[in-house]
Amino acid sequence: MKLWWLWGKRERELEKEIQHHLQMAAKDRGERGASLRDTEAGARREFGNVELVKEVTREKWGWRWLGDLYQDVRFGLRTLRKSPGFAVVAILTLALGIGANTAIFSLLNAVVLRRLPVPNPQQLVQFTYTFPAKGPENWNSRFGYPHLERFREQDDMLSGIFGGVGVNQVNVGWHGSAGLAQCDAYTDNFFTVLGVAPQRGRLFVPGDDRRGADVAVLSDQYWRSRFAADPAIIGQTILIDQLPFTVIGITPPKFSIYAGGARDLWVPLHAIDRFTPDPNRWQASFTSWLLIAGRLRPGVSLTQAEAELDLIHRRLLAEQLAVSERRGGQSMQHLVRESHLVLHPAANGMFSGLRNRYELPLKLLMGVAGIVLLISCVNIANLVLVRASRRRPELALRMALGSGRARLIGQLLTESFLVASAGGVLGLAIAWWGGALLVRMISTGDSPVPLDVRPDWPVFAFAAAVSLSGGMLFGLVPAIRGTRVDPGSALKQGAQGTSGPSRLLDRALVAVQVTLSLVLLTGAGIFTRTLENLRHVDVGYERDNILMFSVDAKLAGYPKERARALYQAVLEKAATLPGIQSASVSIVRPVDNQYYLGDSIGQVDGRKLPDAEIINVAWNAMSPGYFFTVGTPILMGRDFDLRESGAGAGVVIVNESLARQALPGQNPIGHRLDGAEIIGLVKDSLYGGARAKPGPVLYRSLFQGEGGTDPSQWVGAGAVSFELRYRSGAGLVDEVRQAVASVDRNVPIFHVKTLRAQTEDSFLRERLLATISSFFGGLALLLACLGVYGLMAYVVSRRTAEIGIRMALGARQLGIIWLIMRETLCVVLAGVAVGIPLTVWLSRYARALLFGIAAADLVVFAASVVALIGAAVLAGFLPARRAMRVDPMVALRYE
Amino acid sequence: MSEKYKNRIELLQGTLDLLILQTLLWGPQHGYGVSQAIRANSGDLLQVDAGSLYPALHRLEKQKWIGADWKISENKQEVKVYRLTAAGRKQLLKERSRWEQISDAIGGVLNPAKKESGS
Repeated sequence: MKLWWLWGKRERELEKEIQHHLQMAAKDRGERGASLRDTEAGARREFGNVELVKEVTREKWGWRWLGDLYQDVRFGLRTLRKSPGFAVVAILTLALGIGANTAIFSLLNAVVLRRLPVPNPQQLVQFTYTFPAKGPENWNSRFGYPHLERFREQDDMLSGIFGGVGVNQVNVGWHGSAGLAQCDAYTDNFFTVLGVAPQRGRLFVPGDDRRGADVAVLSDQYWRSRFAADPAIIGQTILIDQLPFTVIGITPPKFSIYAGGARDLWVPLHAIDRFTPDPNRWQASFTSWLLIAGRLRPGVSLTQAEAELDLIHRRLLAEQLAVSERRGGQSMQHLVRESHLVLHPAANGMFSGLRNRYELPLKLLMGVAGIVLLISCVNIANLVLVRASRRRPELALRMALGSGRARLIGQLLTESFLVASAGGVLGLAIAWWGGALLVRMISTGDSPVPLDVRPDWPVFAFAAAVSLSGGMLFGLVPAIRGTRVDPGSALKQGAQGTSGPSRLLDRALVAVQVTLSLVLLTGAGIFTRTLENLRHVDVGYERDNILMFSVDAKLAGYPKERARALYQAVLEKAATLPGIQSASVSIVRPVDNQYYLGDSIGQVDGRKLPDAEIINVAWNAMSPGYFFTVGTPILMGRDFDLRESGAGAGVVIVNESLARQALPGQNPIGHRLDGAEIIGLVKDSLYGGARAKPGPVLYRSLFQGEGGTDPSQWVGAGAVSFELRYRSGAGLVDEVRQAVASVDRNVPIFHVKTLRAQTEDSFLRERLLATISSFFGGLALLLACLGVYGLMAYVVSRRTAEIGIRMALGARQLGIIWLIMRETLCVVLAGVAVGIPLTVWLSRYARALLFGIAAADLVVFAASVVALIGAAVLAGFLPARRAMRVDPMVALRYE
Repeated sequence: MSEKYKNRIELLQGTLDLLILQTLLWGPQHGYGVSQAIRANSGDLLQVDAGSLYPALHRLEKQKWIGADWKISENKQEVKVYRLTAAGRKQLLKERSRWEQISDAIGGVLNPAKKESGS
C-alpha cells in the first residue's frame, strides 16, 4: 500500500518538475522577445515528447513493474467496464464457486482441521483401548478410574495425564435465577497439562480435586452470557444442581478440548460424588466412563509412549481380572488377552461425535464444492477464450505497434486476476453467510452447535489461494493462446476466424463441464435417494402426533428418593391435559440421541446360558401406556400396569428379536429372563433410529423394584423423557410448560420435540448431504448449460456467413437446426461418455454414507444422464433457432 | 537557430553525468537551471535535451550522488532543486580525472609531435 502511495507521489513530483522546466523555458523565450503564443509552443517543441521523457525518467526509478501493474490494472478495469455482461457473469459464477468452497472449508476447518487453542497441541494424545474381535468399531475411549491412577503412577513418557467426565446438563443457580449449562469434571492437573492460563482468577491447582470439592471454573463465553462479564463473580458462590460451588476463575476465550463441544463450566473430578454419590466408582474395574488424555514429553514419539502405556494397561487388566468375580467368564478372559492401548493424536481435539459424524460428509462436500469451482473456472475460461478471439484485432494491433508478448500476456492475466479477486471478495461474503447457515443445518439441540466458523486466517488464506489459482487456471491458457497471433493475417481477418485447434479447445472445455456436472448430478441423486429411503423405513412406531419433552429432577435439586414422585406427578398432569390421548414416561425416547442402555441376559427359565450364548440386549424402562403412545403394537400378552410398581423380581416385555433369540419357536409369555417374568411381546422397533438393524430389546417397568441394572437408579440420576400422543398440537407446548410448572416451578423442561422432528434430526447428516449436493448439482447443471449456450452462440455467430450460403442454396430450416444441434450433441455425449466411468469410480467414496441404494445406482445414473442431455439440448436449441432465422442476404452482405 | 544546431556536439557517453555534477558544484540548481548552465558555460555549444537530462538527474539521485529538495520559488511554485552530496563530490573528482586522462590520451593521439616536443 505504501509503495502505491510513494509511486503516486513520485509521479506527481515528476509532473511538477517538468511543468516548471517548461514555464522557465517559456519565460526565457518571452524575455528574448518572442510572442506569447510562440513562447509556450516553442518551449514544448524544444523539450520534446513530454510523455516519452516521463517514461524514460520513470525507468530510472527501477520499479517499472509497479507502473506496469498500475497501468494493467487500470486498463483491465476499463476493458471490464466496457463489457459489463462478461464481468458480471464471470464474477458471479466465480463468487458462487469460491463462496461454496470457502463456506465448506470454514466448517471443515472448525470441525476437523483447527488445532486446539493451547500451546504445542501436537503433543496432546487421547487414550483408547481396543477390544476383541479386531475391527474398526471395536475400541473405546472411556476407562475406569483405576486406569487413570495407574497411568499417572507408572508412566514417565508423558509430562502429564488428566482424566475427566461430562456432568452434562446442570442447573446453575445464581441470585435466585436458574439456567441450564454444560458442565465437565476433570482432575486438577487438567488446565496445567493443557497449558492454559486463566483470563481472570485462577484455574485448578493440585489439591482442588478432593472429596467434597467445591470450586468451579467458568468459560469465557458463559461468563459473558450468564454473568455479563462481571469480574466480581470470582470468589462468589453459585449453585450447581442446588449444590454450592465457589467460582475461582475464567478460562481464556475459545478454550475447548472438543471441536464443536463448548463447555460452560468445569468442576474437579471428585465433585461428581456430590451430584451422584457412588462409593464404588473409584475402585470398580471393567467400567468405562472416564476420558483420559495427556501430553507427550518433548522428544518422545507416540509409538514409544504407546508401547509403555500398553504394558501398564495390560498388567492392570490382568490384575483386575484375577480378583474379579467374573474371572471365570470366557469373554472377560478374551478381552484381557486381546485388549491393547492405543494413543490417538489429539492436536485438534478429543474424540467428538460431531467430528465423527461429519468428517467424511464434509470432506465429500469439499470435493463437490471443488468440482463446482472447477466448472465455474472452465466456464470463465471459455468466456475469456471467446473474448480473446473477438479481441484478436486489438491484440494484433498492439503487437504490431511493438507491445511485447509477455507484456500482453501479463495484461490479460491482470484482467483475469481482477475478475478472480472480485469473485474472491464476493465469495468470502457468501461464505460468511453460508458458514452460519451450514452450522444451523447441523444443529439439532435447543441451541446451535457452538462452532466458530467466522473466517479466520486459514479461511482467508484458503479463499485467496482458491481465487488466485482459479484466476491462473482460467486466465493463463486463453492469454497464451490469444497472443499467439500473426499480426498481419489477424488484422486482415478481423474478428471472424479462429484456428482449428482453438475450436477443439472450446469444445473440450464444455465437454469437461458436462463431465463434471454429471458427477455432481449423480452424487445429488444418490444422496437424495438415501434420504428418501431412510424416511420410508418402517421404524416400528408412529411418527406423527407425538410430542416429547425431557425433565431432570436432579436439575431442580431433588434427591433420588423424591424423583419418582415428581415424575409421577408430571405424568398425571400431562395425561389430563385437554387433547391428549395418552401419555407415558421412559428413560430412552424413540430415536434418542442421549442414551443407549445396554445389558446382557445370562439366564432363561432358570437355565444358565453358556458364555457364548449370553444375549446382549438394549433395554429401556417405561411407564404403562408407552407402547400405545408411540404406536408400537403389542403382539401378545399385555402392557405393564400400575400395580407392577415396586414388585419384586418384576415383569418384563420383550420384542420379537429378543423372543426369537431367547426362546426360539416358543410363545414367550410366562417364561422368565434372569428371573423376570415375560408378560408381553411387542413388534420390533428400531431402537437406535432408522439406520439401525432390529436387535433384541428388553423393556422394564420404570418404577419397578430392585435389581442389577435397576431403572430406579436412573430415575433421579438422569433425565427421563415424556411422550404425549395428541389430537391437536396447537398451543400444546405452552400447556405442557404450565402443567410442569404447576407441579414445581423450579423444574425445567428441555428437548421439547415432536417425534417427527426428532426423526428428521436423526437424518441430519443425510439431509445436509442431499441438500447441499442437490444445490451444487443444480448449480453445475446451470453452469454447464451456460457453457453449451455460450459455445453454440459463438459457433452460430461465426458461421453466420456459411449458414447464409447454405440457406441461399436451398437448405431447409430443419437442416440448419440439425447442423447446430449435431455439434451440441457431439460435445455433450463426449462429456457424458467420460463422465460415466469417472462417476462410478468416484462414487465409492460415498458408499459409507448411503442407505438402501448402491453407489452406482442405474436409475439415478440414467436420470442424471437424461436430465443433463435434455438441459444441454435446450441450451443448444436457442442459438440453433437463431441460426434458423438467419437472413441469407444480411448474412452474406455482413461478410 | 539552424546555425546553432549545426554547431552542436553530440555528448560522449558518460560525460553528461560529469557535466551535471560539475554544474552542481557551484551550488544547488533546478533541472532547467542545470540545462541552461551547461548551455551557457559551453558557449551555446552543448545543449542537453530533456529526454537525457531528467533520466540522468533521477538516476544520479538514486545513486545518491546528488540530493534533491523542494523549495518555493518567487512565484510561489514548488521547485525541485538538486544539490551535490559528499559522495557526489568524490564521484566528480573521479570522473574529472578520468576525463582528463581521456582527453590527454586523445590529444596525444591527435598531435603526437606536439606531445614529443613538449616533453
